[in-house]
Amino acid sequence: MAETVLGFDGVSKRFGGIHALSALSFEVRAGEILGVIGPNGAGKSVMINVASGVYAADEGRIVHRGRDITRLNAHQRGRAGIARTFQNIRLFKRMTVLENVLVADKTHTVRPFGSLLSFGRRREEIAAALAELDRMRLADKADQLAGTLAYGDARRLEIARALAGKPSVLFLDEPAAGMNERETEELLADIRACRSRLDAIVVVEHDMALLRVLSDRLVAMNYGQLLAEGTPDIVLAHPEVVSAYLGTQDG
Amino acid sequence: MIADHIMFTGVNVLLAWSVYVILLSGSVSFANGAFMAIGGYGAGVLTTKFGLPLVAGIPIAALGTAAFGMIIGLPALRTRGIYLILVTTGIAFCVKNAIEAIPYVGGVRGMRGLVGAEPWHVWVVAGVVGLLLWLLSRTPLQRILDAVREDELVARSLGINTVYVKVIAFGTGAALAAVAGGLYAHYMYVINPEHFGILVSVYVVLYVILGGVNNLWGPPLGAAVMTLLPELIRGLQAWRPIVFGVVIVILLLVRPEGLLPFRSPTARAKEARRG
Repeated sequence: MAETVLGFDGVSKRFGGIHALSALSFEVRAGEILGVIGPNGAGKSVMINVASGVYAADEGRIVHRGRDITRLNAHQRGRAGIARTFQNIRLFKRMTVLENVLVADKTHTVRPFGSLLSFGRRREEIAAALAELDRMRLADKADQLAGTLAYGDARRLEIARALAGKPSVLFLDEPAAGMNERETEELLADIRACRSRLDAIVVVEHDMALLRVLSDRLVAMNYGQLLAEGTPDIVLAHPEVVSAYLGTQDG
Repeated sequence: MIADHIMFTGVNVLLAWSVYVILLSGSVSFANGAFMAIGGYGAGVLTTKFGLPLVAGIPIAALGTAAFGMIIGLPALRTRGIYLILVTTGIAFCVKNAIEAIPYVGGVRGMRGLVGAEPWHVWVVAGVVGLLLWLLSRTPLQRILDAVREDELVARSLGINTVYVKVIAFGTGAALAAVAGGLYAHYMYVINPEHFGILVSVYVVLYVILGGVNNLWGPPLGAAVMTLLPELIRGLQAWRPIVFGVVIVILLLVRPEGLLPFRSPTARAKEARRG
């Protein structure tokens, strides 16, 4: 069995009386694309926020490559290699497309004031950022303001920006939301193309058809709990998953 | 009289940049009048009571003010928007009242015997600060600051310690205001807490907003216009404050982004590609 890159171990998160995550345990394995499905309100986005340190877990542990990262805050998780995109695309709209990728360069995110003392290496940084844009088919839009991008381009720029920090695990929060069939097809190809540069990719979606073709394994969630974990065929045939989606066991 | 205008315009240019530096990281400060006071009084104590030369007194006072700014910035910068305005306004009130209550620095009567600053000193300092800010605008740090200002949550997810960046920016702004205060005090000969009231802080923020918040040259332009405009309309006598107020309102309506606009997309793109 492949090594575990990221593990959720009994992670709980409450907001007042609401149990957003209840003792959630699952693992992300090396080299895989893991799909996370669940109906609206299942806790998928909360899971990403807890994984990326936006929210602190109330209970449980999150282990990344053998290191307990439960207590790390958001920027420390970013440095540790946990990258993410956002359900409602969040770009630096007043910066250019190229700048959105440049700003994620680890040299400067880790030592923001270091650039005051060193003037070297800029050309390499720009070349690396342009290559990143090229891989996401955005090189010709590098000089536009990010706020002027079309929806699909904005989605891919967000992924390019997340990849620019050379992360270990990338969380994609509903990347295909709002896309038509052709755009979705292209996005699938783009996601597959970047998997070799990462330890693992976790894709949160409620489009089951998409995850069936994209994912190596699936995790199904509902009410903040794990319903099933395994290959897409097994998880999607699981009675509890079927009932969570169709609302009835007999359906 | 002319010397006064040159001096006060220079001081206000420095103050405008002190607010601009904090705004770069996305925070707004209504406490810079207080930082100016700490710089003025701190440098004043060092020159009059300890006999230090002004060139030593002002940097030491500025470093002390930066430390003070960062210590209060650490909790204060956890708030945003209207709450940060309230917190920094509170700081401005507290500092003024604290100075009034300290007999060692003259209390409400003020401190006297402060000499040594000339208008050209201020403009040399302003020139150096302007040059440093221009150099900064050409480094990757500018982009980091832009990112923190635009979306703090995303900046953190990219690995940027946004609290650290904001606290350093706040401390730098405090130090700049302190330098302005030190020079101002040693030009005035006598200072009292009224010179550093809340209105000073409000005016400085106004300079920056009128000049343009996302452009290095906007704040000094705003400061110069706002310092000299009241003098230009001196003939209006009692009507002066009203006309001044109306001009400000019209400017904000006509040019909501300030006299100087945001950096153009083409300029941004060119700058980003510069190796």
